[in-house]
Amino acid sequence: MSVQERRVGLKLKTKLTIYFAVYIIALSFVPLIHDSLLAQSRWLGYGTGAYQYQNQNYFILFNDPYDGSSKPHIHVNPTFAPASRISLIEFSDWTSWVNDHNLFNGFNVTMRADPSILDVAYSRPEIVIHKYIEVSSDAVKVIMQSEKEFGAHLELWRWVMTSINGIPISDVAKPLVIAPTTLIEFTFQDDRLQALGHGRIVMSAMPSQIQMWPHEKGFNKITVDFVNSMMSFTVSGSMEAVGTPSVPWSYALLPYVMPIVAITVVALYLLVDRYGRALKNRATRRSS
Amino acid sequence: MEERSRIVLLAAAVRVAVAPFFMHAGDVGTIYESSVMALKGLNIYDFVSAKTLQMQNATGLPVFFEGYAYHPLLIYFFTPFYWVFTLIAGQGPVMIDGHYPALPVLIYPWTPLLLLMLKVPIILADVLVVYVLAGMDARKAKIYAFCPYVIFVGVVWGMFDALVGLFLLASYLTSSRSKFLSGLFYGLSLMKLYTAVLLPLYAVRLYGRWKELAQFLGGLAITLLPVAYYLVVSPKSIWNVLVTFQGGRLMGGVNLYNFIWIVQDLIFDLVVSMVPTILLIVALYYLITRFARKAPLLESILAIMFAYFLFGKVINEQFLISIFPLILLSRECDHRIWVAPFVFIFLRSPFYYFMLPMLWTSPVFYGYYLQADEVWRQLQAAGYLQIPMYAVGIAFSLLIFWNLLQLVDATRGGIASIPGVTEPTGYRVYDRVLKRARGVWENSISNRP
Repeated sequence: MSVQERRVGLKLKTKLTIYFAVYIIALSFVPLIHDSLLAQSRWLGYGTGAYQYQNQNYFILFNDPYDGSSKPHIHVNPTFAPASRISLIEFSDWTSWVNDHNLFNGFNVTMRADPSILDVAYSRPEIVIHKYIEVSSDAVKVIMQSEKEFGAHLELWRWVMTSINGIPISDVAKPLVIAPTTLIEFTFQDDRLQALGHGRIVMSAMPSQIQMWPHEKGFNKITVDFVNSMMSFTVSGSMEAVGTPSVPWSYALLPYVMPIVAITVVALYLLVDRYGRALKNRATRRSS
Repeated sequence: MEERSRIVLLAAAVRVAVAPFFMHAGDVGTIYESSVMALKGLNIYDFVSAKTLQMQNATGLPVFFEGYAYHPLLIYFFTPFYWVFTLIAGQGPVMIDGHYPALPVLIYPWTPLLLLMLKVPIILADVLVVYVLAGMDARKAKIYAFCPYVIFVGVVWGMFDALVGLFLLASYLTSSRSKFLSGLFYGLSLMKLYTAVLLPLYAVRLYGRWKELAQFLGGLAITLLPVAYYLVVSPKSIWNVLVTFQGGRLMGGVNLYNFIWIVQDLIFDLVVSMVPTILLIVALYYLITRFARKAPLLESILAIMFAYFLFGKVINEQFLISIFPLILLSRECDHRIWVAPFVFIFLRSPFYYFMLPMLWTSPVFYGYYLQADEVWRQLQAAGYLQIPMYAVGIAFSLLIFWNLLQLVDATRGGIASIPGVTEPTGYRVYDRVLKRARGVWENSISNRP
């Protein structure tokens, strides 16, 4: 290879390397761009049949493979740590029943989403029940509706609630039925964020029974029984900081991390490549 | 015993010893399920297609059932061994379910035997590659025979890319002697479809030599007969499984595109996944027009496959096996790139997942599995594993890029100027010329005062 050819080759190599480095780094910004411009305030389908919704205050997962059969699992985004997703409450299909049939195993489920509402249809030969999940900036509304009246036993989980409707965990040793009401208010703590959380569930009709279940350090579930053709649960929550939080890491921060990873790996490659070329040139010079 | 036999026997022994005790439940489960169906004469594509439609109806999303999505020929490599297994163990189920995210139910004592039998084609492919390489260079044969990555993918995971590697190697080695055989072996290498990117290369190289092109296409056509059969019998199903599924896959794997796994928006992800495909077409066009006819076949095949590894949207951990024997034959490539996909395997799937056949033998071990999996899922849900996976993906892409540049550089730098080097025999001529030149150069150095 002549010197001229070698120079042209080197130029081409350098050009291609620069293009490829720029390509890698540019693509690494895709998650961030998507997260900032396209992912807000609409239902997004992903994976093998999961959905999520993100707005300024809430993050909702439905059927996420790592989150299990919690349909939906509502998280709250604290104003002082917007990228953190703190579990507020999960409606568990796995432990809920309609007309004595388990919601997870006893029904054929189909999901359809438009940007603002997720419509989940649970069907059996004798009945079809729709679960609509509608999110606004200040609440998440879960509506269960059917053309026929149905009896439901729903379980709402959170690990763990420190008090429910003003009753602290210290006062309850076994499952407790609370007075009929359409409002459930609960509190919880987040040790990592050093924060105190408040949750509120407003029901559209009076349920036949509400029960709260104590666990080791707090209540871990609320069960609601009702008979109706429609019932809505309007869930809202908030958090207040009471201490100095440790650095809060969250999955939501990954879009910011990806470009850093890309730039670091590409920079390392360029350094090693340059060093290798310098060594090669030195060896070539010495041998000639 | 001569060295060649020793390497081959040792390679076989290592694989046979490991094979019965490990598996990737999803992939081995697919082969098992498909072998059962093939033996019963059922249509695999109808089954996979029906499952896909069911999932799409349930979720309202363009999702696909990840079942048998390969060339129809593939399953006939496994079915005879499954048939032998049924002669010993009967027709009862041995592995029940196992498709992600479910865990399989395994029936003992037959599970280890089933695993061994289903891995026999992979072991044979590995051993044949070792045998062929040992005939050329014992050192290279040893690298392939005892490379942890090759052993892991074949007999621990149970992935069959070694078959693709064997047939691609055979296609390359026979290309100078028989275009028919080269076409036949190339057709067999298509059992995982991604080697389809090499077809334009072969076509361009044989363009103008019509008789040879016809021989090559004749060999290839034979391997496509089963595809033609399914296109007649169940056109919608095979199209859905082979074309729509493979074409509509999300990008990702051991490459620079796996960042998409954190973008939880399927429709958006599918649109972005078209970007590398466009670049792949551009890269293939460039490489084929600039290098395909001039460069030696080995380098051309590797350059095209490297371009695919850079711009193909799905590059799974095991794909490198398909070109690993060719990488070993090439002077320009660094075979140590296997480290990146090997590391990636353990970031994507926990190591204990491959040990299910052993862990499922006792409720105590099963308990340990659940405990370990709890931790793994927490790491995954927090996103901690995505960061090293992305870093390794980019690193692998850059290593592939570096190897591609080496190839292009070497090819431009004179290989093409030596007459008769476009075929494997020519490559050997080139090799001899190089060795002679190096000898002259070394003599001149030692004679210096």
